[in-house]
Parts: sequence; structure tokens; C-alpha cells
Amino acid sequence: MALEDVCSFKERPVQHKWFSFSSLGDAAIPFPTSDCYNLRYSRLETSENNCGVPLHFFIPPLPHSSSFINRPLSSFCPPKNSMTVQKPFRLAHGTTTLGFIFQGGVIAAADTRASAGGLVACPAVHKITPIHSHLVVTSSGSGADCMLWERILIREIRLYQLRHGHRLSIRATAKLLSSMLHPFKGTEMCVALTLCGWDKSGPKLIYVCSDGARLQGDVFSVGSGSPYAYGVLDRELRWSLSKGEAISLAREAVFRATHRDAYSGNNVDLFHITAQGWSQRKREDLKEEYYRDKEKKGKKKNDKLK
Amino acid sequence: MYFIFEENGPESTFETYNIKHSSVPLPFPMAHGTTTLAFMFQGGVMAAADTRSSCSGLVACPASQKILPIHSHLVGLTSGTSADCALWKRILARELRLYQLRHGRRLSTSGAAKLLSHMLHPFKGTELCVAATLCGWDGGETGPGNSTNAKVSLAKDERSPYAYSILDQGVHWGLTVDEAKSIAREAVYRATYRDAYSGNCVDMYHITSKGWTRRNREDLKEEYYREKERRKHEKTERRDVAFSD
Repeated sequence: MALEDVCSFKERPVQHKWFSFSSLGDAAIPFPTSDCYNLRYSRLETSENNCGVPLHFFIPPLPHSSSFINRPLSSFCPPKNSMTVQKPFRLAHGTTTLGFIFQGGVIAAADTRASAGGLVACPAVHKITPIHSHLVVTSSGSGADCMLWERILIREIRLYQLRHGHRLSIRATAKLLSSMLHPFKGTEMCVALTLCGWDKSGPKLIYVCSDGARLQGDVFSVGSGSPYAYGVLDRELRWSLSKGEAISLAREAVFRATHRDAYSGNNVDLFHITAQGWSQRKREDLKEEYYRDKEKKGKKKNDKLK
Repeated sequence: MYFIFEENGPESTFETYNIKHSSVPLPFPMAHGTTTLAFMFQGGVMAAADTRSSCSGLVACPASQKILPIHSHLVGLTSGTSADCALWKRILARELRLYQLRHGRRLSTSGAAKLLSHMLHPFKGTELCVAATLCGWDGGETGPGNSTNAKVSLAKDERSPYAYSILDQGVHWGLTVDEAKSIAREAVYRATYRDAYSGNCVDMYHITSKGWTRRNREDLKEEYYREKERRKHEKTERRDVAFSD
């Protein structure tokens, strides 16, 4: 993976300790991955490629501390009380993403606006990323962090699949993701992902965030536009919706949120996950929907006045 | 100071505001927990609100009145600090009555809004927190007025986002009175469902050329349990469906 080259994996000697949450205050905390080979020293000496090596992160040198190279290599956990770079603006999850389960599977929908403070940084971002054929993840929070963690998750899931011959369940994926995010709790990393997928036990919807929350549920909406989406979803969500109704409900919820929330907008992406895998609906510009809605309301006004 | 509204907004926005302007430290961060809404349609103006007064996590009063009638053709929706709102509503009622006695006619809704706005202006920048929506019928036309207040971006976080999306979906000019009532009720119910600071009952006022009429206060608990029954029924349906794939 290109990421490993960037992080200069091969140049660093590897150190390991048994990972346990109780020792989180200590220096060395290797990244838990689905890779059980990591936990045995003997394996490590023989591993040539990166397949046995847990993920290390390049943490840029902090202003007050000594340079990175001199720091003990095992302590890559970012110190919690350190001074960090001043944020240019307060991170708010400026987005609307939602997911819900119904009789026909799981629907995941999101807007496509990436905002930075008051600027629309990109009007056509992909907030829903497929991880494997039966799992997609919707992201909100910091765009960069989400992209990184999606790639890491894809890598880990694929590695597990190759080693064990079967796909990791969605609950286990969520747990894995949550434990990978844990060392960064308390730092400025801001990631809120909703895993929407279908595994052996049926449709699943799990929300994982960098604060440590890991919640399974039937309907989730994340982001600054989520209250608006929740209003619409709560009203009309039923188990017995047909596929078409569910899609139009998701679309309507995102549309209403983008209408009112300044940080959501542009287009809507929709994914539908069933036992056969995910399918993506064509990205739709909500501007058209807005004008249609306006016209419809105007028409009703004219009808009544007649 | 840059304001970005997060979904768990109320205390945090007030706190950031306070840091800049406060002289006396507040005993607790004031949270503006409420859901009030109003819309115009062909049958007049419909105003609805919940009845929960919260005080930073405590439900101070489960049966407060957030829609205050000012005169026979004007009601005010209040949110912000209940004490400030009650006071200013009385002051406004007094001023409007004086105007009526002096000039022999009622002040229009937009006039009342302008009056309130000017009366509140000296308090701009202080901790006074009043967000009022005046809904009324003047002369031959409806006029919901909106007053601007001491706290700059108040309008945004008072109006519940949960209710907004439902209103956007269903409100159009041609609604009948019953449809309007049911949409207003549904919007408040959905907001109380998701928002911790709104709840208890829903008040509804309907303003027409003949004045305002008040619907009986309805406890939303009943609606919540009805919906819960329905969902439970759905869940049993769901368990019967076999995931054969």
C-alpha cells in the first residue's frame, strides 16, 4: 500500500507489547489489527514484508517536544496534554448522512458537500464508500480523517479475508474499527462512520465514532443536517416499506436537510445493500428537486386560490 | 467570533457568546430548549409549541405556556429565557393596548414586531434572551411578524430543526384547517421525540380574521405510546420474516 511507503515502514524497527486497554497510559501501544501474527515476537523477526507489521503512524513533531526521530519509537500514541496546531475553524460535522434498515435491506444516503468553515470546499465528495461487496460506510467529521480510516479499514478487512478465508462480520468490523480509533481518543481526530451492511445475521447498521461510541441500531443520521433528516425519517420509516418507497424516503430526508442546513447540499448519493451486495443509485442533483418542490407548492397555492 | 451550529448546540453557543460579553458569571449555562413553530396558510396562521421549560438538564416545568396571547388577534411564540419572555410579552401587551386606546385602531402585526424590536434594542449585547414570533391577523390580511433580538443568531437554534423538515414537507398555502393542525402537531411531536429539551404537551393556536382559537392542550405521551405499540407490532412482524439469504 502506498501509505506504507509514505510512513517509511521498512526503515523502522518494530516493537511490540501485548495490547491491553488497562495499559493505555503506558508508552507502547501497538495497533490492534485483525492480524494475529502481530502478537508473537517470533513471527516478527521473520516477516519481511509489511504483512506482519502493525500500522505505525507518522505523527508530525509537536512544537514543544523534541524532534520525532529522537522520541522513543514505541510511543506513537499522541500525548493528550500537548499543545497542538491551532485549528483554522471549529470542526463540526457539516454533513448529512443517514442509514436505515427495512425489510428490503439497508439504505445508506448522504449529501456531497464538503465544507471548511463557511466555504464549500468541494461540492462533489463521496461520503459513502464501499468497503467490500456487502458493506458500505458513510462518513462524517473531518474529510481527511475519514478517507484515511476508510482505506485502513478496507485494508484490514481484506487482510482478514485473505488469511481466514471468510469475511469478518459487521459487528466485528465495527469493533475492530473502534479499537483502532481508540488511541486517538482525546486528540483532534474527528471521525464518525456508519457501517451499513449485510452479513450472515442479516442487515446491520452500526455507528462508530472517534469518541469511542459504537452503537448498533435501525436508523442513524449523522451530521449537522441530521436533526432535519431525523424529523422526516421518524415520521415515515416503517419496516414494511418497499424498495422504491425506502429510496424516496432517504432521498427526501437528505433533501430536507440540505434545504435547511447550510453545511449540507449539492447532490445526494444513495446506496442500497441487500444480501446480494450493494448497488448505487445515480448521483442526483438536489437543485432539480428543489425547483420541482417549489413548483409543486406554487401550483397547490394556485389551485386553492381558484 | 465564528459560530458553527452543531447538533448538540444550545449550551455551547451561549457559552461562547458569554465569554465575550458577560460581566456576572451565570450560575449554569442557559440552554434554550424549546420547540415553537408557526406558519401561514389559506385558513390563517397556525402556531404550535411544546410545554417543557428546561433548566440545563432539569425539567423546571412540564406545563409552561410558550404561546402567549397578546390581544384578540395577536399571539406571541416565545423561546429563550421564560422569565424574559413573560416580562416582554406583558410590556408589549401594555404598549399595544395604549396604542389602541390612543389611536382608536389596533397596531398591525409588523408594527408590533417593530415596536418590540425597538424596545429590546437597548438590551442588545446583554444576557437578555428573547426570541419571539408574533402571529396575528391585521385588518384584511395575515401578518406573522418576526422580531429581532438581543442575541444575534437566536432565530436559528430556537426553531427546532426536527420540526422544520416536517413543515417543509407538508406546508403549502392550500392546506385545510384540519390538515394544518395535524401537520403542526406532528412537527411538534417529532421534535419532542428527538430533542431532549422539548416535550410534555403541545399547545396549538389558530388565528383567523375572527381572532385566535386555542385547541385543548394535548399530552404527547399518548401519541408516543401509540407509536410504540405500532413499532412493537412491526417488530413481531419482522421477526417472522426469515433471513434466508
